[in-house]
Amino acid sequence: MNLLAEIEQGIDNLLSESPYTLGSEQRCKRLLELLKAEIAYACERHSAYANYIAHWPIDFRNAERIADLPYLPVGVFKANPPLSLVTSEKVKRTLSSSATTGQVPSRIVLDAATSRRMGKGALTIVRDFIGPARRPYLVIDTPENLAAQGQIGARGAAIQALRSFATEIVCCIEPVPDGGSHLDVDRLLASAAQWKDSEVLVYGFTYVIWTQFIQTLKQRGIQLNLPNARILHSGGWKRLQQLAVTREAFNRDVASVFGCPTASVIDYYGMVENVGVIYPDCEYGNKHVPAFAEIMVRDPLTLEPVKPGEKGLIQVCSVLPTSFPGFLLLTEDTAELISDEGCPCGRKGPSFRFAGRVPKAEIRGCGNLESTRQKPAEMVGVA
Amino acid sequence: MITTDLIHAVDSAQEITAAANRLRAVVHEEEISPNAVFDIFERWSAALAASDLQEVPGLAFLRLWLRRGTLEPIVLRELGANTLSGGWWQDGRARLRTFPLGVVGHWPAANIEIQPILSLTCALLAGNGCLVRVPRGLVEVTRLLTEKLQEADTLGLLTRRLFMASFDPSRTDLQEAMAQSVDGAMIWGGAESVSQLRRLPFPHWSRLLVFGPRVSAAAMDAKTWGNREERASWCRRIARDVWQFDQQACSSPQTLFLERAESCDVSEFVEHLKKAFEEENRAHPRSEIEPSLTSAISLVRASWLLKGDGNAAVFPASPDWTILLGTGATMPNPTQGRTLTVLVVEDLLDAISKFDGTLQTLGLGIADAAREEIVTRAAATNGVDRIVKLGRMHVFSSPWDGTELIRPLTRVVRHVQSQD
Repeated sequence: MNLLAEIEQGIDNLLSESPYTLGSEQRCKRLLELLKAEIAYACERHSAYANYIAHWPIDFRNAERIADLPYLPVGVFKANPPLSLVTSEKVKRTLSSSATTGQVPSRIVLDAATSRRMGKGALTIVRDFIGPARRPYLVIDTPENLAAQGQIGARGAAIQALRSFATEIVCCIEPVPDGGSHLDVDRLLASAAQWKDSEVLVYGFTYVIWTQFIQTLKQRGIQLNLPNARILHSGGWKRLQQLAVTREAFNRDVASVFGCPTASVIDYYGMVENVGVIYPDCEYGNKHVPAFAEIMVRDPLTLEPVKPGEKGLIQVCSVLPTSFPGFLLLTEDTAELISDEGCPCGRKGPSFRFAGRVPKAEIRGCGNLESTRQKPAEMVGVA
Repeated sequence: MITTDLIHAVDSAQEITAAANRLRAVVHEEEISPNAVFDIFERWSAALAASDLQEVPGLAFLRLWLRRGTLEPIVLRELGANTLSGGWWQDGRARLRTFPLGVVGHWPAANIEIQPILSLTCALLAGNGCLVRVPRGLVEVTRLLTEKLQEADTLGLLTRRLFMASFDPSRTDLQEAMAQSVDGAMIWGGAESVSQLRRLPFPHWSRLLVFGPRVSAAAMDAKTWGNREERASWCRRIARDVWQFDQQACSSPQTLFLERAESCDVSEFVEHLKKAFEEENRAHPRSEIEPSLTSAISLVRASWLLKGDGNAAVFPASPDWTILLGTGATMPNPTQGRTLTVLVVEDLLDAISKFDGTLQTLGLGIADAAREEIVTRAAATNGVDRIVKLGRMHVFSSPWDGTELIRPLTRVVRHVQSQD
């Protein structure tokens, strides 16, 4: 069996496990060997990546823990062309991150196998949180994001990852000719009336749900009466924080509009670079790591993994990609490690809570040459 | 010795205006000669030497700076012997005399612990009063350093001329009040802060000395870096220059250019540099780091190596330090955080020809004086203001950034007697 075939076999074995039943020790042991094989495979396929690995201070072949394996910072996926381990004709889809204005988005390439695993990974995780049943799927977004193929943004990827749960799909945001969009309230109400007490899956980006969905319905005093709706959302809180919307207020208002318990509103953390892995909040507010992945929270001072109760930079690990070297990624996000093993919710493995984005690195002091091309909004001074 | 806190937490524009008025009154009423300032500074230097502040980054430089032996030649060169002896001097039928500007405002950068002090010493030597905005992160260290001034200045000759203010930098009203109250300013810092501070409503007569933003580089000829016997010593010097001020100063080397030598192995040199970095890191480990800097260091390591093209790097698993090795004559964007890019270049002049006014200091290691003369001239022509031996890149002196530090804070008054 060649190296890739061995890797694919290993990934499939982990994907077939129940996602949160393996203990940390057992999971890490299996992941370590698989990740080493994936690094070796990527080195064969990409000479520049091999150059990076060759200069890592610890030889990955001798590493005894995942923490010592060479990781890439997610920023390298902003490179053009994107880092790829497959030839261009094998690229089935290119996913791009939801970069804010002025930022360069990350781009990752998926071949058929990685794309398939991405779907299966997300499915396995979501199933553990909402159950296996297929149900109506309400997308709080425009149909374009559902239909996108080839080059897909983070929103499109997240929406499409859940479509296998759907018996039918309704997109309730409509584009308007001026380039904006609005909530199609009539369509939404018609669907809600039809679904009533059924289980319903709802997904939207956090700020889209708040700004375009909840605000519109609240203003019009509309409640959807969908007590069995499960609302998944992602995309981060930055814009809502700017609007001074707390997580509690968000959950309360969303639950109120749907007429469901607040526990049915589930925030999850994820990024396109960590393909096929998402981290929904459990009922205790913690995020968990599936069998085919690992997470580490690293102390920014030492880059060593922190102990439970401490905060640091999030490193995500996933065995799923073989089309790009996204196995071990140091993110630009921070988290608190809650536990090395287990959670009152019953899920095994480490648990963590997202703490925030790392602010953009700035060159400091009198060695800062970055010129001010934009007029700043407020006086910043020198401290 | 009872000391009062010289740093005031300021919350209103009126406090700043009142302080500036008090300082101006002191300057008008009490002239102070450079000699009197030298004496107090000398005692201040001694008090710092005897203090437990030795771990303050740059303290050794500050102590040296405050010595009469350092400052007297600078004042002599900038202001002339007449100023030191006091009074007027003849200039044809007129007579001339140096007067202070009045009140000088200081906006030091937040990344250099001793910079508020260095800045105000220049204005005091010119006889001015000083209104200093102390960056929030430097309040404590500045307080400790100025307590030693209070010990040395028992009569309060200099402390009467100081008002140090601490306030939120986003308080535009306070920044504006400070600018409106001064006759001159010394502004230090990065691009963003300097640009904003220059836009403050200074009086039209005020003189602004703006320092920053700049970066610095180092360069060695083949004979020097190829010399095995002296290599360790040169590497220690480079490490010292990188570590000082956590590589955030305008005088911190970000790139080291090595002139190619067929007979010398650059990886051997980098091995020595690695040892020097490890040693320096043991002596001066970081106690904290911004997560964004850790991210930036991780990214530059990966981006550099993913470029391929023979790029190499040496770094530990931690973000403590990084050496990036490659070829080329163009300085990459600095990362700071003790990240030194070592570039092998065919001829040092290839790299120097690409310099512009953004480059402040060039640290040199060149074996031959004639060759150094050529390199120095080329660097100076291309905008470099300081060309010094490696290991001395941060030694503060006048001129700085190509500008004298004391004379611009004075006015030379011309008097033609009306009786003539």
